[in-house]
Amino acid sequence: MKTRVIVIAVALAVALVLPFLLDAYWLSTFVFVLIAAIGALGLDVLTGRTGQISLGHAFFLGVGAYVGGFIGADHGFTAALWIPAAGIIAGLLGVIVGPTALRLRGLYLAIVTIGLIYIGQHIFVNVTALTGGPGGRAFVDPAFGGFTFTGGLDVAGLSFDRNGLFYYLALLLLVLAMVFVHNLARSSVGRAMTAVRDGELAAAVLGVNVARTKVAAFGISAGLAGVAGALYGSFLTFAVPTDWNLALSIEYVVMIVVGGMATLWGPVLGALFVIGLPALLQQVSGSQPFFGALQPADAAAIVYGVILIVFLLLEPRGVVGLVERVIHLIKRNRQMSLEPSGG
Amino acid sequence: MNALEVRSLTLRFGAVAALSDVSFEVGPAELFAVIGPNGAGKTSLFNLLTRVYEPTAGSVAYFGDDMARWRPHHLAGRGIARTFQNLGLFPYMSVLDNVLVGRGHLMRQGVVRAGLRPPGTRAAEHRHAAAARDALDFVGLSKVAAMPVAVLPYGLRKRVELARALAMEPKLLLLDEPVAGMSRAERSEVVDLITAIRKDREMAIILVEHDMGVVMSLAERVLVLDFGKPIALGTPAVVQRDPQVIAAYLGEVA
Repeated sequence: MKTRVIVIAVALAVALVLPFLLDAYWLSTFVFVLIAAIGALGLDVLTGRTGQISLGHAFFLGVGAYVGGFIGADHGFTAALWIPAAGIIAGLLGVIVGPTALRLRGLYLAIVTIGLIYIGQHIFVNVTALTGGPGGRAFVDPAFGGFTFTGGLDVAGLSFDRNGLFYYLALLLLVLAMVFVHNLARSSVGRAMTAVRDGELAAAVLGVNVARTKVAAFGISAGLAGVAGALYGSFLTFAVPTDWNLALSIEYVVMIVVGGMATLWGPVLGALFVIGLPALLQQVSGSQPFFGALQPADAAAIVYGVILIVFLLLEPRGVVGLVERVIHLIKRNRQMSLEPSGG
Repeated sequence: MNALEVRSLTLRFGAVAALSDVSFEVGPAELFAVIGPNGAGKTSLFNLLTRVYEPTAGSVAYFGDDMARWRPHHLAGRGIARTFQNLGLFPYMSVLDNVLVGRGHLMRQGVVRAGLRPPGTRAAEHRHAAAARDALDFVGLSKVAAMPVAVLPYGLRKRVELARALAMEPKLLLLDEPVAGMSRAERSEVVDLITAIRKDREMAIILVEHDMGVVMSLAERVLVLDFGKPIALGTPAVVQRDPQVIAAYLGEVA
């Protein structure tokens, strides 16, 4: 318990001072990491904790972005409205789509949720008023009342540029989302989710409403994707309908698998890995391709593809599982060294 | 009023009759046993009583209410708890959380309340955790409450299921082979436990079991099934002497 408080305090302290230590390239990378972590946290509620595989996450990210664009950019409302609205509307769509999971399981559910991506793209391309059609649309920076992120902020001798402000906003929302999911996990709703994942029939006989639990998981998952999507669109400033594609969904699946499913920190570590690795390779290589022909993004895709397979085979609990193993090992060694030797 | 009234219950899978024309009633504080050789239809009967299967014909009334329209997840709220022959536990959850799943129907939280965890919700969680600990205490498992179920040996897992069923505060408890795969010592401990449960509170219990010794020492009445058909119903002493029952168990023609 005490060590956990220390870990959280250290992580929070590092997260708070990080922007002052980073150059512009890495600051913007970390903003993407934090935004992705919010979305991954949502997918983990559905896939990691409730056991429902979804490859449709990108659709809800797109919905969130367009809701943000519609309310924030098109109608000029405050970000205090369009960020939650993006979450709520995407979440409601998740609740509407969720019932497809009631009759489908595993691979079949995965395939149906891929369908969601294509239906979504079809809608996104055609609802030009909302999405700008195939040519895409612009988004606005978050604004609260008269204050907008665009010009940065000087306060108490510290100066924050647009990306710095984005960083702290995404960090705040991520922390709130983590607290929410942590509370959820140790509530009767969270236990019902795990029960549905590990044994639907037993769960039902014990009084768990399986249908309601799955639909709730879809709703939360889509809601967090909506918030992440709204921030993502705003931070990117521009998006085309084809941005919300299967590859984006798969990136989120990789995040939760590599980070560690059904853990609080897994989605965050996974986002750090999936977003951070290509950025690192990009920087290391400069503009030079790897091995003469490989672009940094492709090299990253190959590396994390391989790492995904390695994790699935050797440590299904992801980075979090790996860390727990190391801690366990250290504890055991310490115990052994405390015991009297000889005998 | 009877806890359960089963009338002409029949279950067919195509041409195969898993159960045919089974009728019996169980009193509100009775321990009623169902026995029979492998494939006699005992677990099918449990699956019908817990609404996992839909009967082909017949009816079941629980304290006078027809169960025909109930869904499995309605049972817990109405006071029916069940243990599973092959364990219905969630291996990655702690023992305590497994028991708490059984109290979910008493907690009724929405997603938003669960995520925000206001003081009221927090207090309710603590209250239910205390009740779950009492149930674990009752079966002698309070020391392993924080452990994941996956690390427990089989005999202890069976007890976790029993604790969970008790924590559901049932009026009807369905026990599906509670001593299967146990050693002699473990078996007698479970028998003592069931006796203690009956002394502690009033509930109807239906026990499906292979172990004749356990059935004869616990049950007030016994129903014997063979190939889905009821062949005897009565007190253990009467059923034991029934020639049809002896034949079914020994494989002879009566």
